[in-house]
Amino acid sequence: MATLQLSGVCKSFGTTPVLHDIDLDIGEGEFVVFVGPSGCGKSTLLRLICGLDTIDSGTLTIDGEIVNDVPPAKRGIAMVFQSYALYPHMSVASNMGYALRLAGTPKAEIERRVEAAANVLRLGPLLKRKPRQLSGGQRQRVAIGRAIVREPNVFLFDEPLSNLDAALRVDMRAEIAALKQRLGTTMIYVTHDQIEAMTLADRIVVMNAGRIEQVGSPLELYRRPANRVVARFIGSPRMNLLPGALVGDPAAAEIGVRPEHVRLAGVGHGLAGTVRMVEHLGSDLFAHVEIAGVEERVVARLDGGREVHVGEAVSISVDADTSHRFDAQGKRMAPAHNDRRTA
Amino acid sequence: MSVAPARALPSSPPVSRLAARGGLKAGERRVGWIFMVPALVAFTAVILWPFISALGLAFTRYDLRTPEPIFIGLANFRAILASPQILGSFVTTFVFVTLATVFTVAVALAWALILNQSFRGRALLRTATLIPWVLPATVAAFVWAWIFNSRFGVLNAALLSMGIIDLPQAWLSTSAGAMTAVVITKVWISVPVTTTFFLAGLQSMDREQIDAARVDGASDWHVLRDHIMPHLRPVLLVVLVLAVIGNLQQFDKIFALTGGGPVRATTVLSIEVYRLAFDSWDIGMAAAVGLLWVATIVPPAFLYLRHLLKDA
Ligand SMILES: Nc1ncnc2c1ncn2[C@@H]1O[C@H](COP(=O)(O)OP(=O)(O)OP(=O)(O)O)[C@@H](O)[C@H]1O
Ligand SMILES: [Mg+2]
Repeated sequence: MATLQLSGVCKSFGTTPVLHDIDLDIGEGEFVVFVGPSGCGKSTLLRLICGLDTIDSGTLTIDGEIVNDVPPAKRGIAMVFQSYALYPHMSVASNMGYALRLAGTPKAEIERRVEAAANVLRLGPLLKRKPRQLSGGQRQRVAIGRAIVREPNVFLFDEPLSNLDAALRVDMRAEIAALKQRLGTTMIYVTHDQIEAMTLADRIVVMNAGRIEQVGSPLELYRRPANRVVARFIGSPRMNLLPGALVGDPAAAEIGVRPEHVRLAGVGHGLAGTVRMVEHLGSDLFAHVEIAGVEERVVARLDGGREVHVGEAVSISVDADTSHRFDAQGKRMAPAHNDRRTA
Repeated sequence: MSVAPARALPSSPPVSRLAARGGLKAGERRVGWIFMVPALVAFTAVILWPFISALGLAFTRYDLRTPEPIFIGLANFRAILASPQILGSFVTTFVFVTLATVFTVAVALAWALILNQSFRGRALLRTATLIPWVLPATVAAFVWAWIFNSRFGVLNAALLSMGIIDLPQAWLSTSAGAMTAVVITKVWISVPVTTTFFLAGLQSMDREQIDAARVDGASDWHVLRDHIMPHLRPVLLVVLVLAVIGNLQQFDKIFALTGGGPVRATTVLSIEVYRLAFDSWDIGMAAAVGLLWVATIVPPAFLYLRHLLKDA
């Protein structure tokens, strides 16, 4: 277990800046998830933390000690790579014991720890196999096992589940959640997957274009996004944005409404629109409504029992207390005073 | 909708009438042989027949005093076993092949590892690396002969000016010096291609695997031993076998540089055969030594072909 502080961390590749002035405090045993669009610098940040790339300026502190110049192996960090990066010519057991072997750990001790990790991850029968003889999910477990065996202070995961199919991903997510419970180690986890982020994280860090947009618990981010980037990134389907003027709030540039807060009614009860697409998921129903003056179709999440048809003329309305106001720069604004407003 | 394709299948005509009878394959094979004939004829006339008749000469006496080859059984081979000089050329060949192969592979591997790093001017250096390869072998040999020359060679000039030697040395006129010179020349010529092989192997290496090893605590040496070398193993095997075959066959550079001398210090089998055939005009003996020489090349060639066919 360890605490970790980033302060003023910058990184450029050549003349291209990739990370700008990153400040972040991670507490002991915390599970922090980094999310953000592709190319925003998440992997780069992980590589800086584990020491594979050097920090241009700023400091990285682990357990109160500045480790900018400490080599990767001495930081007490284990990393699980997106490609797994297993050693192809070594058996599963050798893969898992490699770090310990390099550290000169006695053989019996290595065997004991490899076996213990193999039991946790149900890898026992596979210990003698080579990575190419394993399925994707098994490889993933070996990669995690290789990290566990080292008993690190910090775990880094770079999109560890992105190469797995949906069903396996659910299983592995549960496994990682169990691991977090059992080990209580500080973990940093990069993902593109909303559900992984929301279910695993103690705190989510939303990144965009090399900057941190907001840090907070999953529900905080969901309920009070600091700006429209975060608002649009957290939540699926994503938040609808309507011009403020259109919904009777000209002070705000844009009004954001989550699909579950969009109310759909018959013609004449709000903004007029036409249903263009219906996605029925059984329990829920997503209606995509085209509205004059709104660029994107507004998505409304409705009860699965409702009957909505493509081409139907409808009207939508939103509540002030469930909508989010953003100014022209995309920053969150305080709620307006007129208490109830239907467009 | 489901009916149409089911009906279409049986009624659609087969690709070929022969295909239905399974006769297409046999027909193809016959046509294949016809296409092979020109190549086979050329191969037999130009390579196989001369080779076999040369092998036949190994069992004859055929020199300046015999107008026609006379069959003498294994007498040539008994003569070889009794000749310390010819046996010596086997040893010389072994020394040359071993040194040239080991140094070629070691230098090329090191050079490939350097060129695989990213640094300014890497592309230029990679291109420059190929220069020795494009030089004709004899030109390269004369370049090195000039470097090693006792009176106006660059090597002597450099060592004299650095104060390492007091007098110019006649490098090529000592046994060890001549062997060193031919090995260096051969290594210098072989390194570019070998480096290219290794570089290709290195570029297919998974970067994240090395990153993972670094996080696991691997030093440069560990990365090389535990990750890069196992990855390069198949390349290394091919390179080693090709180098051994190439060095066993080596003739032109050695002949141009030392002519097999001083005395017999660099007389490898290829030079031995040449001398027997064209200095002594003892064709029978030359063929016998040549037969043994070919026999040395067979095992590595066999290994190489087996490796190639296994992968195919
Ligand atoms: N070695 C490098 N040299 C130059 N540019 C790089 C290098 N590595 C990353 N970049 C650039 O830095 C930016 C951030 O890359 P990074 O891999 O951190 O993104 P990411 O957030 O992990 O994206 P993804 O979600 O697609 O994995 C990208 O624009 C990328 O092109
Ligand atoms: Mg990434």
